[in-house]
Amino acid sequence: MSELWARFPEYLAGHLELSLAALGLGAAIGIPLGVWIARRPKAAPGLLAVVGAAQTIPSLALLAFMVPALAAIGALTSRAFGFAPRAIGTGPALAALTLYGVLPILQNTVTGLRGVDPACREAARGVGMTPRQELWRVELPLALPVIVAGLRTAAVWVVGTATLSTPVGAPSLGNYIFSGLQTRNYASVTLGCVAAAGLAFLLDQAIRAIEGSLRRGRRARAAAVAASVLGLASAAALFGAGGIGAAPRTLAIGAKTFTEQYVLSELLAGWIEEAGGPPARVLPSLGSTVLYDALRAGELDVYVDYSGTLWATTLHGAGPPPPRAALLEEVRRGIAADGVVVAAALGFENTYALAMRADRARALGVASCSDLARRSPELEIGADYEFLARPEWRSLVSTYGFAFRAARSMDPSLMYQALAQRELDVISAFSTDGRIPALGLVLLRDDRAVIPSYDAVVLVGARLARERPDVVARLGRLEGRIDEASMQELNRAVDEQGRAPREVAREWLAAH
Amino acid sequence: MIELESVSKHYGDVIAVDALSLCVAKGELLALVGGSGCGKTTTLKMVNRLIEPTRGRIRIGGRDTEELSGPELRRRIGYCFQQVGLFPHLSVARNVGVTPELLGWERGRIQRRVDELLELVELEPGRYRDRAPAELSGGQQQRVGLARALAAQPEVLLMDEPFGALDPLTRDRLQERFDEIRSRLDITTLFVTHDVAEAIRLGDRIAVMEAGCLLQIGTPGELLRAPADEAVRRLLETPRRQAQQLEALLHAAEAV
Repeated sequence: MSELWARFPEYLAGHLELSLAALGLGAAIGIPLGVWIARRPKAAPGLLAVVGAAQTIPSLALLAFMVPALAAIGALTSRAFGFAPRAIGTGPALAALTLYGVLPILQNTVTGLRGVDPACREAARGVGMTPRQELWRVELPLALPVIVAGLRTAAVWVVGTATLSTPVGAPSLGNYIFSGLQTRNYASVTLGCVAAAGLAFLLDQAIRAIEGSLRRGRRARAAAVAASVLGLASAAALFGAGGIGAAPRTLAIGAKTFTEQYVLSELLAGWIEEAGGPPARVLPSLGSTVLYDALRAGELDVYVDYSGTLWATTLHGAGPPPPRAALLEEVRRGIAADGVVVAAALGFENTYALAMRADRARALGVASCSDLARRSPELEIGADYEFLARPEWRSLVSTYGFAFRAARSMDPSLMYQALAQRELDVISAFSTDGRIPALGLVLLRDDRAVIPSYDAVVLVGARLARERPDVVARLGRLEGRIDEASMQELNRAVDEQGRAPREVAREWLAAH
Repeated sequence: MIELESVSKHYGDVIAVDALSLCVAKGELLALVGGSGCGKTTTLKMVNRLIEPTRGRIRIGGRDTEELSGPELRRRIGYCFQQVGLFPHLSVARNVGVTPELLGWERGRIQRRVDELLELVELEPGRYRDRAPAELSGGQQQRVGLARALAAQPEVLLMDEPFGALDPLTRDRLQERFDEIRSRLDITTLFVTHDVAEAIRLGDRIAVMEAGCLLQIGTPGELLRAPADEAVRRLLETPRRQAQQLEALLHAAEAV
């Protein structure tokens, strides 16, 4: 539990800062835009529809989309001004959250202004107000309660959605939820949810208090409430360092959203620090493609990827995959074009495989993918978020002719649970997963060699490779040091024994 | 003095006001009467340029209204209308003092002027100054509206059916009070109404409009004695005809 609380100030500060910044920007954009639209009754429905449509984009997708979008903008601005916004971390999260915050504020500003009694507007003009005076002295004060209601809606949305900013690299209370779901640490999930809900409630009440004081003409009290919210944010900021991009720049190590990655990122951080390398900072729970883009853009320095993944998604390899060693060589050459270096192949493969309960496989007489294909119409498959969209799945389907009764993407932890409880028949699994031996599962043989090999490789970004060859050399000494059984053991320590990834990694380091 | 010189207002092909010329003498109240849609409100709003004329010239005290910007012009003209339009978020005093505030008067002068006007419209300043408009009755709101129109000592006053939405007793009292105030202040007033009895009671002269044109202009006596046409005659006789009908009905009721 103390392990959990240790990062609470950092996550809370990140969450609060992100939310307040998005809300502030949302108001700075939404209110003036609302004023502009309210005065153009012909353009209003169209513009509101466009903003409304942006709102219906699922939040997680919008957040992820901001990463390549910001990278593209960065490419333009760095050419023009020699400056580029960071493509991962607070930048994309802020951009997406602001977009979410704008709509309720904009909509309520328009509604509030439209709702002002026409007689008041006529009187304002009649007594000799200029359009600007009419806006500031009559229309905005009368629309204020409706605008504030929009701000409160936006606050609740933004604080809630900010929990989804973890995969793009902005630390928030969502880190508790993402890593907790992955490592089946429900105390962590609960803490993340309760803290985010509490924060939303407090912010909502604070805005309400400010508006109430303003309306009753108690400016001092309104200022006091606003100051205490900002004070809380900056106090929290002093405790926790900011997200990616906190200065002075430390070494940034990324991790995908599963246990093995959490353990390996901590292990790499410790391995570098042990040898007197720069202090390393672990950014857990980043999306898979976000990681490679960030590494290429120089915003991450190190992470572990898998040769087959790089071959299929980054190099767009197609057709039957080359054998293990050839594939690794092809990947090494291919990503060198991006300046990315393979520092070491860790020595194990974490391949995609299809897994079943051993008893069920025996009963159905299934040992290989070809056996499975014959039985597939009566079976249901569960897969992690990306598997069903990956080229490997398409190759499996076209080669073996799978025709499952149902195929669903879901959270990996829940997927294992569902398989154990016989609610699923087959799942996509990683071969190093500690839950395979623990739950008594068998991996089905890929008898027609469709799935490429997935050697775990340590990738180093161009900047670090250039500036710190000593770190690259140090990482190179990990070549072949972790075999499949050791990795399964490390994963099992987290997934089955509920230990912290950091602690498990430290133990391995102490022993090696 | 307000002078309109062949003023027109067109909305596309629709002609709301057609080359209208008229003059309101200094200190005079001209009542502009006519049916709905005859162009009387449009004419009034062109004087303070809430509606911009399509053609023609309007002068106040000899100066063309185009010489000032719209807001500057309107700060020098009192404006009262049926819906009153008090600002609900401001106190009675701030409502009355709004034009002086826009003109940059200093605070003490505004306060004195507000109290003076509240007394003029018979609202005791100590009791009403800090109230919100929503706490007032319809008649009290219209009194505050009148005080607001008069606050910056305007040269002219424009009134668009100011008493139209009040109950008969309140209307009667306010008309009487307004007549006293006007004769005391000697303020040039253009007064739009569709109530001929009100026009006869308050107007020094009456202008009758129909379809954007002036049918006749003159004192109530002139119009009654020598109506320009049948329409004017019927309009001017309405109050008397109604009074006679009422008299007959009351007589019959008493006889039973």
